[in-house]
Amino acid sequence: MATRNRTAMYRKHRDAVKSVRAPLSSSASGSGGPVIEMASLLSSNRSSYAPLSTEDPGPSRDAFTVGLPPAWVDDSEEVAVNIQQARVKMTELVKVHAKALMPSFGDGKEDQHMIEALTLEITDILRRSEKRLQKLSASGSAEDSNIRKNVQRSLATDLQNLSMDLRRKQSTYLKRLQQQKEGPDGVDLEMNLSGNKSRLEDDEFNDMSINDYQMRKLKKSEQITGEREREIQQVVQSVNDLAQIMKDLSVLVIDQGTIVDRIDYNIQTVAVSVDEGLKQLQKAERTQKKGGMVMCATVLVIMCFFMLVLLILKEIFFSS
Amino acid sequence: MSLVTAVRDYINRMLQDISGMKVLILDSHTVSTVSVAYSQSELLQKEVFLVELVDSISKSKESMSHLKAVFFLRPTSENIQRLRRQLASPRFGEYHLFFSNLLKDTQIHNLADSDEQEVVQQVQEFYADFVAIDPYHFTLNVPSNHLYILPAVVDPPSLQNFCDRVVDGIAAVFLAFKRRPIIRYQRTSDIAKRIAQETAKLMYQQESGLFDFRRTEVSPLLLVIDRRDDPLTPLLNQWTYQAMVHELIGIQDNKVDLRSTGKFPTDQQEVVLSSEQDSFFKANMYENFGDIGMNIKRLVDEFQQIAKSNQNIQTIEDMAKFVDNYPEYKKMQGNVSKHVTLVTEMSKIVEERKLMLVSQTEQELACNGGQVAAFEAVTNLLNNESISDIDRLRLVMLYALRYEKESPVQLMQLFNKLASRSAKYKPGLVQFLLKQAGVDKRTGDLYGNRDFLNIARNMARGLKGVENVYTQHQPLLFQTMESIIKGRMRDVDYPYVGNHFQQGRPQEVVIFIVGGTTYEESRSVALQNASNSGIRFVLGGSVVLNSKRFLKDLEEAQRIARPSTTVL
Repeated sequence: MATRNRTAMYRKHRDAVKSVRAPLSSSASGSGGPVIEMASLLSSNRSSYAPLSTEDPGPSRDAFTVGLPPAWVDDSEEVAVNIQQARVKMTELVKVHAKALMPSFGDGKEDQHMIEALTLEITDILRRSEKRLQKLSASGSAEDSNIRKNVQRSLATDLQNLSMDLRRKQSTYLKRLQQQKEGPDGVDLEMNLSGNKSRLEDDEFNDMSINDYQMRKLKKSEQITGEREREIQQVVQSVNDLAQIMKDLSVLVIDQGTIVDRIDYNIQTVAVSVDEGLKQLQKAERTQKKGGMVMCATVLVIMCFFMLVLLILKEIFFSS
Repeated sequence: MSLVTAVRDYINRMLQDISGMKVLILDSHTVSTVSVAYSQSELLQKEVFLVELVDSISKSKESMSHLKAVFFLRPTSENIQRLRRQLASPRFGEYHLFFSNLLKDTQIHNLADSDEQEVVQQVQEFYADFVAIDPYHFTLNVPSNHLYILPAVVDPPSLQNFCDRVVDGIAAVFLAFKRRPIIRYQRTSDIAKRIAQETAKLMYQQESGLFDFRRTEVSPLLLVIDRRDDPLTPLLNQWTYQAMVHELIGIQDNKVDLRSTGKFPTDQQEVVLSSEQDSFFKANMYENFGDIGMNIKRLVDEFQQIAKSNQNIQTIEDMAKFVDNYPEYKKMQGNVSKHVTLVTEMSKIVEERKLMLVSQTEQELACNGGQVAAFEAVTNLLNNESISDIDRLRLVMLYALRYEKESPVQLMQLFNKLASRSAKYKPGLVQFLLKQAGVDKRTGDLYGNRDFLNIARNMARGLKGVENVYTQHQPLLFQTMESIIKGRMRDVDYPYVGNHFQQGRPQEVVIFIVGGTTYEESRSVALQNASNSGIRFVLGGSVVLNSKRFLKDLEEAQRIARPSTTVL
């Protein structure tokens, strides 16, 4: 695709114009008799340019150089930082998941703890960011509120994608974990059962030891079911959390491919809402002016004066 | 060589090197260009947090110097004036100016003069000066399209504006593709000739440096033709999805406004029909109405299955799966309801206007059938109370275009009947159409009755029978494309501009129809491109027509032309 850069020509001309302008302004600041002459020279030269703004360039330049963003930008930046943090933690989580799934000799409890801790952290970050995001929609000027809404939307989309990503990673991990556990456990149990049977047949006299063995087996299977339950609880909890987050976010997130995702539609609705806002303001102003309150107040004040006058008259008449 | 990709590339390049929070400022034309190719959510990803029109940006005095402004405007004098006012009292921290076409030196100087505070960081020309509604179909949304019908003497300055806009649009397409074409035009059309010559002047003389691209073996071809060579296609009622929606309801910049047809809930009042974003639409946009009905039913069934399974959440896994798939589900729901609404609306309109009856006669008038039977059919429909005025007008026009010379008495009878039946009919409109696009004015063989090959082909088709009575018609453009493919385009009918000559067949062809394209023609082009003939066709026009728009242009031209004819 062809493009053409006209910046060089533009800059050249801008510099040329500046150098013509500069000596004029410096001569204007000079004092003495020929000030009037200089001024007229200045104005005549100025008129040869296109009409510029009549504002004194001084104060506007000052206001221009300040250029601080409004306060809510800090909030949005914090949310963006949080999202970045969450992303980093997610990559960590993926690594720990992979490690936990690898067959090892230990019982993998610490891996489990790490996974739990990381997942909680990430969910927490997401929740906090989401709450902060909701706070962004305060009031302000029309344009500013539009920008704020768009920043909200963009961050909301990122958050939603992150939460869905987290969900997906969790579910794949759990699925693989279940597969793994079931595999060896199934075999294990079976073997133990058959082993048990054979032992029963062989060692009828060793009741104690058999019971002991059975107890241990029971305990282990209880442990396993307990763990399984806990995992399920965890899943339920995180599903709830994430569902809540997604529900809140879905209001903010734009559905791709719909009319709301069209740039021209958004421009129209801004124009419409700004117009509407203006109309409402004007209406409010009018009703306030016409307002019953003002009327009542003036009527009352007049009546007060009238009564006062009557009182004074009464005094004059009856005291005479 | 996709138009949509070209526009997207331009916009991506505009935004990629500028970091931080941005505001994008467009004018009323570039907003169409950008909206069809780029979505709001994609802009948000690029940190563009505000989009405004250049007319409204100056109304607010609030300073937002933490934002960087990216302007993307057409280089018109009004836009330059607005920009100058902006630059004189700048509201934003940085100004990056992008123009959709060539800038004159004086415009650059004027801008530089106003830029006292030196806020402008770059001034570039990015040639996205067309609206890419489909990958191989673009339009220019020219406001006073009817000007193409009028002779140049009526309003020279307006016609010059029209031609300038068209030449700018065509030049931008070729700059986006980085090609310089050989140009041919339709001999019988003055305006096609004018546009072809002005485009050639721009590409080969005025800006020959800019257009001097690496030459390919065979140069691409630009063919400029006139709408009036095929007045038949815009008048016909359509039965393929995209064309039908535009004909019955109206599509503007890939948006359909349903508010005029009835009461709808807020989120269905305006819908988007874009082949890039909607895969169901992409698969069905060229299918006929019957097949669409079936496909939508299948879509609804699929959706109902998923909805039912979502209600059946028994286990934790089900719940988890539901939460995972919720965004997809919501998107599908929106899409299904959109298509169901559109098809329902169109069915309603077809029922009200008895379009199945009308369209059958239309297709026969367009494709085959004898004059006597045609006259009877049209008379019957004119007498039928439930046919609307616009349909009556179209039928008479179609009859007149075909049987112009065969039986003037019967034609007169039809005119009188039309005038007596339709209160709003502007008398003389059909005659005006015949004067503009009658058999004497046309180059192409619209009815396939000029040369023996076409007559034979028609007879063969008649004997074979047609699949679908309602989609028999093939636009003249199809024949034009065939003759390009076979290298059989006659120099007499479509001469070259200047001393160019084409060796062999072109690989890339841009066909520009002055006066507007139709979706039936863009369907023809898309199907041709899909058939792997080795040649890529791109279609463009000044607007996208449906019968209402075409008739409006005719009426407007007739209204303007009338006083001058009485003078003459």
